[in-house]
Amino acid sequence: MINRLEATQYLLKHLSDEPIIASCGNPKFDLASAGDRRENFYMWNSMGMASSTGLGLALARPDKKVIILDGDGAILMNLNSLTTAASKSPPNLIHIIWDNRTYQITGGQPTHTAGKADLAQIARGAGFEKAFSVDTMEAFKQLLPEVLSKPGPWVVVAITDDCGAPGRPPKSPTYIKHRFMEALGSQR
Amino acid sequence: MKWPETILNILKENGIRSISFVPDSVLGKILNLAAKDSFFELSTLAREEEGVGIITGEYLGGRRGVLMMQSAGFGNCVNALASLAIPYQIPFLMLISQRGELGEFNPCHVPMGKALRGTLDALGLQHFTLRREDEIETTMQGAIKTAYTSEQPVAVILSSELVGWKNEK
Repeated sequence: MINRLEATQYLLKHLSDEPIIASCGNPKFDLASAGDRRENFYMWNSMGMASSTGLGLALARPDKKVIILDGDGAILMNLNSLTTAASKSPPNLIHIIWDNRTYQITGGQPTHTAGKADLAQIARGAGFEKAFSVDTMEAFKQLLPEVLSKPGPWVVVAITDDCGAPGRPPKSPTYIKHRFMEALGSQR
Repeated sequence: MKWPETILNILKENGIRSISFVPDSVLGKILNLAAKDSFFELSTLAREEEGVGIITGEYLGGRRGVLMMQSAGFGNCVNALASLAIPYQIPFLMLISQRGELGEFNPCHVPMGKALRGTLDALGLQHFTLRREDEIETTMQGAIKTAYTSEQPVAVILSSELVGWKNEK
């Protein structure tokens, strides 16, 4: 099983200025703990929207590799977005789903991935050709260089534990937005 | 019937290239024209709230988008608007094809149609209704400008007075 914070830290070490869209719930806490940066877009709510927002950014900015840090509960709420992303298939999209099989932030109630749902298979069924599941840190480390260097779109489902992260991102939505857009040099 | 062409020209003048949509027969008239114009990039959504996320991502990347949907589909967007577009101040035009008003044949379209403006009002979102061809230029141009200056989504509603209704009982 993968420790989510350790995997997030490992990912950040291999990035430079790639934008990251972090889902509400624990993905944004781990990202803030691993390193706050201007290119981090933290979602404080809008559960399920990280996948769609990352897709929109990838379509608008083919010059950037766009990384989504999602959770199993969040993507289960917007599974249809996988069909839309696969249809558009931007090669610069990297969708990482931390799958701890629980609604961790609300007390650990099991999600459907604790039952019969398999997110990598769902992503393949939606049309992603590069959709993989990893359940050890070694496998994550082995897959990551290819994900970051070769054209996608990629879906990486990482089976993680449910350790919490101590860090908290900035809370002002407009601060997060303006800082992120400035870092990307986006015209308003 | 010039309204589909007029609307597309105004989108183009305002640099709105990206159209995210769930189609209906009214919006289909706009979408069929847009599909033939290389200026526009069309994204079919499986569910309308995806469009709020996609347009947010596009805006963060420096591109303008419009969300086209029916009044029924607006109901699917409420939390994404309330928890993403509104607090993060993401401006865009929502072009909403109205069901449930004049000439409606389907009783199951009436409740959401009646709730459309009240829901927009409850969210604090501005909305304007197109009823005649000669209103399109002023209303569309003005709504788009206000969306980007206020950094909020703004809705333009296509009424059945403008677009007609199905000849079905």
